[in-house]
Parts: sequence; C-alpha cells; structure tokens
Amino acid sequence: MALADPPSSPRPPGGPDPVIFAQDLRHSYDGKRFALNGVSFSVRRGEIFGLLGRNGAGKSTLIKAMTTLIQTTSGTLRILGMDPAREGQKIRNRVGVVQQGESFDFSTVQGNLDIYGVLWGLSKPERVQRREQLLARFGLEDVRKRRAFDLSGGQKRRVQVAREFMHDMDVLFLDEPTVGLDVIMRHTLLDSIRSEAQRGLTVVFTTHNLEEADYLCDRVAVIDEGRILLLDSVENLKRLYGGKKTVDLTVSGADVPEFYRQLGERLGARAAVTVHGKEAVILSDETKSVLSEIAQLSQASGVQLEWLNVRGNTLEDVFLRSVAHPERSNGAA
Amino acid sequence: MALPNLFRLIYRNIRVNTDPGSLVILVGLPGMYLIFFGFGFGSLASAGGDSRAYLAFLAPGIMSFQVLLAGTVGGSMLWADRRYGMLSQLLSGPFTRFQYLLGIILASVLFGLGGAAVMLVVALGLLGSVPTLPLSLAVMFGTIVLGSLFFGGLMLLLGALVKSNTTYNSIQILVLFVVNFASTVFYPLSNSLPVVLRAMFWVNPLTYVANAVRGGYTGSLTVMDGYELLLLTVEAVVILALATRAYLRSDISFE
Repeated sequence: MALADPPSSPRPPGGPDPVIFAQDLRHSYDGKRFALNGVSFSVRRGEIFGLLGRNGAGKSTLIKAMTTLIQTTSGTLRILGMDPAREGQKIRNRVGVVQQGESFDFSTVQGNLDIYGVLWGLSKPERVQRREQLLARFGLEDVRKRRAFDLSGGQKRRVQVAREFMHDMDVLFLDEPTVGLDVIMRHTLLDSIRSEAQRGLTVVFTTHNLEEADYLCDRVAVIDEGRILLLDSVENLKRLYGGKKTVDLTVSGADVPEFYRQLGERLGARAAVTVHGKEAVILSDETKSVLSEIAQLSQASGVQLEWLNVRGNTLEDVFLRSVAHPERSNGAA
Repeated sequence: MALPNLFRLIYRNIRVNTDPGSLVILVGLPGMYLIFFGFGFGSLASAGGDSRAYLAFLAPGIMSFQVLLAGTVGGSMLWADRRYGMLSQLLSGPFTRFQYLLGIILASVLFGLGGAAVMLVVALGLLGSVPTLPLSLAVMFGTIVLGSLFFGGLMLLLGALVKSNTTYNSIQILVLFVVNFASTVFYPLSNSLPVVLRAMFWVNPLTYVANAVRGGYTGSLTVMDGYELLLLTVEAVVILALATRAYLRSDISFE
C-alpha cells in the first residue's frame, strides 16, 4: 500500500501476535492540535521498523507513547501484548530506549555505563564484561575516563546508544540515534542494530536520514502531521514509483520562483515538482516531455540550467513526494 | 540476586553525587564552618580565652546544617534529571515515578545522616569527646532524618516547579542563606534580637532541628524541643505531600 489512509484494521505482516500493535492512535498535548492523528500500524518480532518524518511530524510523540512516557488521548496500543496504560512497568522492563535528547549522569563514560548496568540489575561481573565489550564496539575506550558531558556530539550519541545495550530487551526504540555520528560510526551502529535484530530484537527507530532507513529497515512508515502517509517495505515503496524517474534540476537567473511556477503549470499532472530554492526534484514517468518542457521554458524565460540529472527513484524521492505540500509542489500526493 | 528497584535508584543517586566537587560542598563546607567559625567566633565569644565552649555549641549546629545541604542535593537531583534528560530516561526504564521520587528522598536522608556523622567525627577530633550514649545518638540522628525529609521535600518542590537554571540557583542560594543564618545553628536565640528576626528564628524548621540535635548532644532536651519535633514532623509530612503532588504533575523533561 502507499499514499493511502492507514488501514482501519492493521494486520501484522509476520503473524497474529505483533510485538507492537497500534490502532487509531490520537494524542493532543493541548487539546487543540493532534500530534498523533489516527496512527495505525503493527511491528513483528525481529523486524526493523523505521519512522520517517520531518521535525514535528509526530515521530517522537509516537516513541513516547510506545515507551509509556505518555498515554495517548485515544486509540489502542499494545506493546508485547500489554497495554501501556495498565502495564507500563512490565513493558519498560522489556524495552530499551535511546532518546533524541542528551541524557547522562554526572559521571565518566565508563561510570555512565556502569551505573546504567546497576539500574538494570546486572551483577558486577556481567556489568564489567558488557561495559568493556561496548566500549570497544562503539570506539569509546579512549574517552572512558572523560565525563560524558564533556564529549563531542557524536561521542555523546555513541555513549547513549552503547549504554542501552548494557541490558537485555525485546524491543529497542531509537529516536534519531545517528545524529552527529560520522559515516564509519553510523555504519557500525546500523550494523550492530541489524545484528541484534537477526537475533530476534525488534527495533523501532526514527530518522531523518533516508539512506540509513533504506540500508537498515525492513519496513518504513512515513509520518507527517500526526498521520501515517505511507507504510510498506522499502522495496515496495520504490516499486510503487517503478515506472517513474526523477529529474534533479538546478537553475539560476533573475526569476527562479516564476520559472518553477510556470514549469509546474506546464507539466500539470504529468509530474510532481518539489522545489527547494534554486533546486527542484521532479518525479515523472514521462521524462522526455519533462526535459523538453524544461528546455523550452528556460530558453523562453532566460533562466540558466546549472544542473540536470535523470535517475531512478530513491526512498528520498518517495519521502519528498509523500510529505510535499501544495505550495511547494505540483501534482504531489 | 539483583537489588530491588528502589535500592538501585538510591545507589545511583549517591554515586552521582559523591564526586570530589560535590563532596567538598557536602562535607568540606560544613567542616570548614565548624573549624573556622568554631575557633574564630569562639575566641570572640570567650573574649580571647578558650574557644571550646563555642565549638561544643556549634558542633551540633553544624550537624543540623547537614539537613539543609541534604535537601539541596535532593532538589538539585530532580532538577538536573529533568534538565539533562535522565528523568525521562529512567522512567522509560524499569522504574515508576514514585520509586524515582522515593529514591531521591531516601538518598537525601542518607546524605543528611552521613554528613552529620562526619561532622560528629570532626567534632570528636576538635573537642576530644562527643556524646556516645545510644539515646543521645538516637535523638540526634532521628532529628537529622526528620530534618532531611523536610528540607528534601522543600527542595524537591523547588526542583519540580522551577525550570530556569538561574531561577533555581538563585532561590536555592537564598533559601540556604536565610534558613541557615536565621536559625540557631550558629548562635542561640537571644531576646536582644529584633522581633522580626526572632520571629524568623521561631518559624524556621532548621531552628527546631538545631535545638533538638543540640539537646541530644548536650543531654539537655526540653519539653519545648519535643513540641518542636512534633511540629517538624507535621511540616515534613505536609511539605512532602506538596512536593509529591508538584512532582507528579510536572513535565518529566524541559523539552
């Protein structure tokens, strides 16, 4: 499915007992605007489920609801078959959470991991063993004696993620875990997550980075303004746009906005145009006519073509199209 | 076997608050008060003579001062955990909100007891002897527990209500200063004091703590001390109820 309302009765893709089951979740912080507005989905055991969306789309609210930090205004939510409203503590005993914001104790890196191990009830030998493994795995050995608050942004993020692996869990929630990480460490983290998922860990994570969602996720949900706009496997989402190509365009000149406005008008329903300043991403299955319109219009308007590229679809195109707003796009969903 | 949740939280609270910097504030500051004020003001009080009498007066006062510091530790823990994300992190783990609160309160009490015990040892070093009678010790440390509960509750209330770092620190310093110096920690309540100042002494719970601890220390407890302890108990219950209510209604983070 794609570009559709969420199913009224979500069925878990991998069996009758989903690890996470959400139906028609709604949540409002102020009683006026809904941060979640009818969200339905399910996640099966061992699945890596990605939540994609812009800032303020509702991803973090959804994570908070699933980790029992907030109770949704309405709807049904089950985590590991339990109701967060009544069995919050039982759920929290079996999940791990890496929050979006910083969260450290006033201690060293090693101290933070150690204290977390105590909090989760690990014996000292087990604690030391896990701590040492994680310090090595996340490249934190050199900074183990430094205070967590004094680290760089990427190092802090690594500590937060490493710390969560101090304890066993059935479901891991990661709220933008790779922010601030360099490429190598990002892949180390993603590979660690994948490896844990292969051993049965269910992972729900939010990200802005669509490449890593493409790399890691079994399924993704694109969320915007509290609603799920798309929900499917990455491959299916790309296949949905299989007949289409993407044209990347950069122009310069006196009146770029007017150029894009006229281009949108000329292309009409043949293409979806998403504009960001001088750049545009144009999604269409009639690439030749799109290129022809661009050439004609640029000559007529005096706008110069700086960059033009035709390529196959990526998840980013799917995402852009799904969340594109009328004022920024033409023909987008 | 793993410790119960509450003990794990207490362990964590103690561990993160016993770094060298915190210990200087918790033990070093009152220790210096005892030594410098004890000898400095002692010589003034005895007109250049033996300062031991004032030291013996000040020692139980400084033990009482520990309840105020213990309270600030509790309030600061809650505030910092909200500010730096650890509260939401802990509450997305195996702990309930109430366990978290209890963990802070009990850690504050332990800090109060520990600090008072250290001051007693310092007093032993300075004076050569301190009371060791079980009843005296029970009165002194029982009062410390009550005082820590009261000031722990007061500072938790502050930690639950205030978001701004500057506001929190300003109020905390003001409370520390006024409560500390408008009490019988450093000097006895004298009739020569202005009426307003005397009234401040009388309504100040730290005065009740200092009087009872001093009564236990010198073996001179009075009926009045008993009434003050009763009042302190009631006040501690009320302030803890208010703090719990404010905490349960507060946001778990400043996002």
